This record gives sequence, structure tokens and C-alpha cells, in this order.
Amino acid sequence: MSDKKVMLDVQNLKLYFRTQAGPVQAVDDVSFQLKQGHTLAVVGESGCGKSSLAKAILRLLPRNISTYEGSIIFDGQDLMTFDDERFRREIRWINIASVPQASMNSLNPVVRIEDQLIEPLLVHDKFNKQKAKDRVAEVFEIVGLPVDFLQRYPFELSGGMRQRAIIAMALASDPKLIVLDEPSSALDLLSQANLMNVLKRIKQTINTTFILITHDIGTASELADEVAVMYAGKMVEYASAEYFYTDAHHPYSQKLMASVPTLREDKDLAFIPGQPPSLINPPTGCRFAARCEKRFEKCSMQPRTTDLGNGATVQCWLFDETGEVKHA
Amino acid sequence: MPSLAKTLPNGQPQNQKAVLRIENLHTWFEIRRMGFFKAGDVRALDGATFELYEGETISIVGESGCGKSTLAKTILGINHITKGSIFFEDQDLSTLDKEGWKRYRSAIGYIQQDPYGALPPFMTVQRILEEPMKINGITDRAEQKKRIRQVLEEVKLAPIEDFLPKFPHMLSGGQQQRLVIARAMILDPKMLIADEPVSMLDASVRVEILQLLQALQRRHNLAILYITHDLSTVRYFSERIFAMYGGKIIEKSSTTGLLEKPLHPYTAALFEATSDPDVENLHSFKDVPAGEPPSLLNPPPGCRFHPRCKKMIKGLCDQQMPPEIWVHEDHAAACWLYKDQA
Ligand SMILES: Nc1ncnc2c1ncn2[C@@H]1O[C@H](COP(=O)(O)OP(=O)(O)OP(=O)(O)O)[C@@H](O)[C@H]1O
Ligand SMILES: Nc1ncnc2c1ncn2[C@@H]1O[C@H](COP(=O)(O)OP(=O)(O)O)[C@@H](O)[C@H]1O
Ligand code: SF4
Ligand code: SF4
Ligand SMILES: [Mg+2]
Ligand SMILES: [Mg+2]
Repeated sequence: MSDKKVMLDVQNLKLYFRTQAGPVQAVDDVSFQLKQGHTLAVVGESGCGKSSLAKAILRLLPRNISTYEGSIIFDGQDLMTFDDERFRREIRWINIASVPQASMNSLNPVVRIEDQLIEPLLVHDKFNKQKAKDRVAEVFEIVGLPVDFLQRYPFELSGGMRQRAIIAMALASDPKLIVLDEPSSALDLLSQANLMNVLKRIKQTINTTFILITHDIGTASELADEVAVMYAGKMVEYASAEYFYTDAHHPYSQKLMASVPTLREDKDLAFIPGQPPSLINPPTGCRFAARCEKRFEKCSMQPRTTDLGNGATVQCWLFDETGEVKHA
Repeated sequence: MPSLAKTLPNGQPQNQKAVLRIENLHTWFEIRRMGFFKAGDVRALDGATFELYEGETISIVGESGCGKSTLAKTILGINHITKGSIFFEDQDLSTLDKEGWKRYRSAIGYIQQDPYGALPPFMTVQRILEEPMKINGITDRAEQKKRIRQVLEEVKLAPIEDFLPKFPHMLSGGQQQRLVIARAMILDPKMLIADEPVSMLDASVRVEILQLLQALQRRHNLAILYITHDLSTVRYFSERIFAMYGGKIIEKSSTTGLLEKPLHPYTAALFEATSDPDVENLHSFKDVPAGEPPSLLNPPPGCRFHPRCKKMIKGLCDQQMPPEIWVHEDHAAACWLYKDQA
């Protein structure tokens, strides 16, 4: 890995939701670093806390929060010390933009695309109206949409085009970090591939830092420099894509990889029996223990995070025991 | 999975009985403007011909809107037939009376696209499984109990007593889908139609459900029509693969033949677009056509893929519909590129 500067440094982040049955530990003590210009793919099964992690970073919080703590150092500033007003004014959209899950359906159907795209730019009075329009036309081209489509209404665009319009919107303010939550999951295969091409081109030309949230490990490999695996609110493994795709360490990551069918290669498919634990009163030990073939006595305690070298970490007692640095 | 049987010309497995025969099947939906004037037809399924054999799985792949579910629902008798015919064990469905339809329906198990919408939320597992038996005149309590026990064992919802009083929302996505499969099996069908049975499920349970279907197939010699938009699962679960585009089956092949080399440019694009988990993907762009599938209300003339096809032959592809051409004995494509190989 190069000595690029760290764009995002998250330490001990927690986001719990209040419910009648008790707090939902959706993001529980998550730490990682992301370098400028890199893309981190956050993968894991439904309900493991991927979108909640995005919400915590973007401070797009629902009302029923019971715990929100830890530190989020973004471009050298600790965002947790910002009040909501300052966060809104200086960070959201301007520096960290997001493409929320299922957002291609969130465009207002009766407002022309251009008006919807310039709005966030005008709110932040970084641009006057003409400049905003010019900028939006520029990003429309970057995402590969004909500029005259700006004058259309959302329903006149296909799903794939709407999704690109949303990505254009996120790019418009030239943010340093863009969080993409399942950007292609609702799209058809060919639109999905086209969108990945677009994102890849942006990544190569603009040097934006991305967090890509997806349950699709195959698609994640199109963009990821790093991969983080979440399981039941915990980030159980963090590694460069190269290590993750060739030599994942955490027993859950390995099982997950083994369950992915491949088109080009014939392999023995496996599945993971059982299901993830509830995030209300999760087990006190390793949260994967009930489904793990390698568990042993120690696993009844929450595993510590072991540094595997080169920024890679794993949360599993197997590695804490040996203390071996695997990714030197 | 290794391919099941040697194939005869036209891709038919040897020594097997056709359970289902589809001939030139069309399903069009009439669109009315202002509820009155006929504005045209959506040609959702526009001429399909094939046979499905005992014990085999055919995968139908294609993107949303290409007519996969329409094919499934037409076979199930949910959609009306616009043109063409369906034969089940050599009996033409159009000749069936009410009793005949009932018998036919009980011989096909249906696994719907959306497990969450497929189960009535206010019924317990037990009632969900009793319902199809009541409708089909299996009223003997002992027989009902025996069948429920058997299917729940087969789909591994155990201990059975724990599951019987549960409501669907108390089950995980994977368990719900196993219940849907149990329901599809309760009348001991000869054939299963599985419409995107795993697309709503997590990767870690997808394989479990597909392996379950495969085990049921072997035990009961079931014929399965497996509909999916996910090309990466088909190699593991089918003997033959058909690709659909714009209401038509545009490629038919043995699984091994297709994996070796897709013939139709659209199928080739589906291949190219599918991402296996591979760190090398980061460094290459995908060569996939831009644009969208055609409107089925006003499909383009000639080959329906021609507006997006790089290999389009002017004056031919844009004017004449390509016929189905058998390029290898187990592999056909509806594409003019192979016109000299017929
Ligand atoms: N506002 C909320 N109140 C209570 N619980 C919540 C709230 N939002 C999310 N959760 C719960 O937090 C957990 C994590 O949810 P999250 O949306 O982060 O999952 P995800 O990994 O993004 O899943 P998916 O892949 O399905 O999008 C889940 O158990 C979810 O039900
Ligand atoms: N009942 C219906 N009335 C009108 N159009 C329909 C109906 N059902 C399906 N269609 C249309 O037929 C086409 C094929 O749909 P469908 O078979 O559901 O595709 P798939 O399952 O491949 O996604 C689509 O254009 C769809 O909108
Ligand atoms: S800590 Fe123990 S139970 Fe958890 S993944 Fe590691 S070996 Fe398995
Ligand atoms: S028939 Fe012509 S347009 Fe259609 S897929 Fe073949 S080459 Fe392309
Ligand atoms: Mg989510
Ligand atoms: Mg469908």
C-alpha cells in the first residue's frame, strides 16, 4: 500500500437503535482506516449493519438512537465534535456525499432532473444557479448520460439511467468521500456492469474515495481496493482486496467466499448452516460462534482485534492465539 | 454438476420421457387506452418451443422483463395462451376439463419469485401446508399429517413440532423459502417451476436452497424449470440452459456447451457482465452493450437485439427475424451470425 494520506479514520464506532425489546447493536465497536483515492467495499449478509455503518458516518440517523459514539476522523477533523449545524454546513454533500440504498426511486417524479440535481448545490451557496447548471452538465457527462436528459423527468429514464443521475448528484459538489449503498443491486445485469464501468472510470480519473456497500462479493471485486466484512454488527475482517479474494482469514469470510457460485470456475459450493444472531442481546462471545466449525473454549469471549500487518485486521481468537503477522 | 445425459440432435437427452412439451407458445397482454381503445399487445412471450424431461433441470436466464415469469405463469395456467400449445405428459392442456386442470395443477409445484409475498401472513405453517391438500380433496387427517411430516423433513424444517404453529414472519428468509418448497412438494408433483427461488436470499443460504431442490429432484425424479437472472448459479444446477431476450428464447444449450462458449451476442454479454469474485476485475472494464431491452409493445423489426448488437448485419438483422439455428447438436442460437451453419 502506498503512503497516501488517510481520508477516513473510524475508531470504536457504535450505533445502537432503541427498540421495545432492547437496544439493537447495529454497529458495535467498529474501527478502520481508509486512504485517499481508495475504495472500501463493505460486505456481509442482510441485517449485519452495513447501511447502519453508512448512516453513522454520514450522521443520517433515525430518531430512535440509544448509543452513538466513537470517533470519526475525516480529513484530519474529528466529526464527532461537530454539532449538527456545522456537520450539515461543512460536511454533508460538500465533503461527504451519499447514494443511499434504493435511492434511484427517490427522485421526485414531477420535477425535472436538472432542478433536482442543482438543488443541493444551491443550498450550500457554493454555486450560483448558472454555475450549478454547468457543473451538473459536467457530471452528467462523467456518468455517461446525454446532457439533454437533464431536461427530462425521472420516469422518462430507465432504472440504470436514474441510478447514474443519482451518482451524478453525489459527484456534483466534488466531495472527498462518496458512500454508495447497494448502488447496483436493483439493476439488471447489463445495467449493473455499465454502472460499474462508470464508477471505475470515476475512480481512475477523479481520485474520489469511495465506500461501497454491497452484499454481492463478486460485484465488489470490480471496485474494491480494500474489503471489510461485517457480521452481526461487528467488523470481523478488514484486508486489501488482494488478500481478501485470495486468502481471507476469518472463518466467516472463508465460508462466505465458499458460498458464492462462480460462472467461470467449477468449485464445490458450501453454505453456512443456521443464521446470524439477533442484534438485541447478541451472544457475549464471538457472534459467529454458533455457526463456526472452528470454535473452541476461548470463543465464549468476544475476540480481540488482531493486526495482520499492512492495515489488515481480523477479529477471531484463532489469530490472537498465534500472534502471527500474516500480511507483512 | 456434470451434465445429466448424452444429448440427441436438438439438445434432447436420451431415453427420457418429456413431462412437458411447449409448442410455439405465445402470451400477449392486450393494452387498452382509457380502458376502451385497444392500444396494442405486450408480446411478453413470443413463440417458445421446447420439451422438459423427467429428472432434468432447464435454467431460463435473462434480464427482468424478458418474459421469464410470463412463461412460468402460462405453463401454470395463470396466464391465458394467445397462440400455441402446452402438452403435459402428451395431453394438450386446451382439452382439459375442470377436473383435468385440477389434476394438472396438483402435478406442478410452484415456487414464486418473492418468498416474502408468497406466504399468507396470518396462517400457521401447518395451515399453509394443509390448504393445498384440502383443495385437492385429501381430507384424511392421518394422510395429511403423514405428508406434512414428510415434506418438512425433506426441506429440513426440524424439529417439526416447533415449526407447525409458527407464522411466516417468525421464520428467516431461508426458512420461509424452505416452507414455500415444502408447500410446492406436498401434492407429490412431477414437475417444479422455480421462479427466481433464491434471488431474494443471502449468498450464504442461496446454495442451501438450491442444493435442497437438487436433492428433491434426485429423490423424486422431478423435472425442474429454474428461472433466474443470475448466470453464476446455473452451472451447478442445470443440465440445459435457455437464454431469453425480448420475449423470445434466443439460445438453447447443454450447460457444458454454453459454458464453453455462448453463441448469441446477448448471452455472451450476460457472461461478460457477470462478476466472479476476483481481484483482477479491478483492472478491466466490461465490454457490455449500452441501451435497454426493447419495448414488447412495439418490438424492433428483425432480431430484437439488433439495436444493441455490435455484430449486427445491416439489411439482414434489422429486417428479418433470425430462425433458431442448431450450430452444434446440443447448442442452438437464434442469430444470423450462424446462417451458414444450419
Ligand atoms: N431505526 C432502526 N431501529 C431499530 N433497528 C434498526 C433500525 N435501523 C436498522 N435497524 C436494525 O439494525 C440492523 C442492521 O441494519 P442495516 O440496515 O444496517 O443492515 P444492512 O447490513 O444494511 O442490511 P441489508 O443488506 O438488508 O441492507 C438490523 O437488525 C436492522 O433491523
Ligand atoms: N399481466 C400483465 N399485463 C400486461 N403486461 C404484462 C403482464 N405480465 C407481464 N407483463 C409484461 O410482460 C413482459 C415480461 O414480463 P415478465 O414475464 O414478468 O418478465 P421477467 O419475469 O422475465 O422479468 C414485461 O414487459 C411485463 O411488463
Ligand atoms: S473466534 Fe472462535 S467462534 Fe469466532 S470465528 Fe474465530 S474460531 Fe470461530
Ligand atoms: S441476429 Fe444479428 S443483431 Fe441479432 S444477435 Fe445475431 S448478429 Fe446480432
Ligand atoms: Mg442495507
Ligand atoms: Mg419475473
